[in-house]
Amino acid sequence: MRRVVSLAVLVSIVLGMSLLIVLSGQSFYPSENLRWLAVVYLNTTYNPYLPDFTVWSPESVTAIVWDYRGLDTLYETTVFYLAIIAGLALGRGVKRLNQKPTDESGLSPIVKTVTKITGPMILAVAASIGLHGHLTPGGGFQGGATAAVVPVVFIVVFSSFYLLWKGVSSQRMLTLRSAGLIGIGLTSIALFLAGLLLGLPSYVFQNIDKTTSPLSMPYDVHGALLSGTLWWFNLFEFLAVSSGFTLAFIILMTPEAEEKW
Amino acid sequence: MSLDLLIYAVGAAASLMSVVAVYLALVERDLVKAVIYSAIQSVFYSLLFYLFMSPDIVLVYLPVAGGVLPALLLVLISKTERFERE
Repeated sequence: MRRVVSLAVLVSIVLGMSLLIVLSGQSFYPSENLRWLAVVYLNTTYNPYLPDFTVWSPESVTAIVWDYRGLDTLYETTVFYLAIIAGLALGRGVKRLNQKPTDESGLSPIVKTVTKITGPMILAVAASIGLHGHLTPGGGFQGGATAAVVPVVFIVVFSSFYLLWKGVSSQRMLTLRSAGLIGIGLTSIALFLAGLLLGLPSYVFQNIDKTTSPLSMPYDVHGALLSGTLWWFNLFEFLAVSSGFTLAFIILMTPEAEEKW
Repeated sequence: MSLDLLIYAVGAAASLMSVVAVYLALVERDLVKAVIYSAIQSVFYSLLFYLFMSPDIVLVYLPVAGGVLPALLLVLISKTERFERE
């Protein structure tokens, strides 16, 4: 009863504050009027008539994240990488058990069968979110986070040893994750290196040719839009994020082996 | 115009329900239930993000706040104590 009363008081306080804010005209409503900066972005992200400025991506959010402010996103990825490294450092030197999972371990056969069907479906959705990130809402981080749900579900439903027994070990995840980060690094300097080799002016994080630099990443393959670097960034970010989360969950959920003195 | 009104009404309801879920998560002594309440709040937030035209945020918020973070907290709770004491 006390809980209901305090909840009612809380809700009425929130409602009253919102009413005050609305009445004083201070509240923010998302409107259909765009600010000039948004208009500039929307006019240049996919605009074949401005080939020196366009990103060739109909998804302006991905274009902003990996092209207009790509360096920011590179450092965000580095922060995520370091956070997982810190988590690994906490669990270093701990021997993990690695037993063969039996039929009795985990939940009931019904749950296991359903998980076997839905697991690949979640992965397919995750891959489509990640690899279509330059066409529709989504991107590497979103797809990678969705894909990371699959190992969690498998660990809970089957057993904490199931993934290890199937070969999804923490070492392999670490390798995959490093490969993802190296891929992001190489993609960001790819055109710069090509410029060095060919003796042409080019920039780090360059995607499509600029007025001062004629180099350009291919933006379509046989008519399928790839948006230059965006697709590659999304692919490598997908690898790095999904394997990073999987790594953290393997480290957290596998029980430690008994210390043998 | 009525669609706008509907969006604002659903958004207001979702944000109010998220306040309720946050309150329940705060006062709950059973930490597992508290994690579930917090996940419910995240679902209301992702509905808000969707209504206010940021589908990119929804796509990252749903798996992280609805799947990965509760799972992480449940693992941590399973390694410590389930019930909060005075």
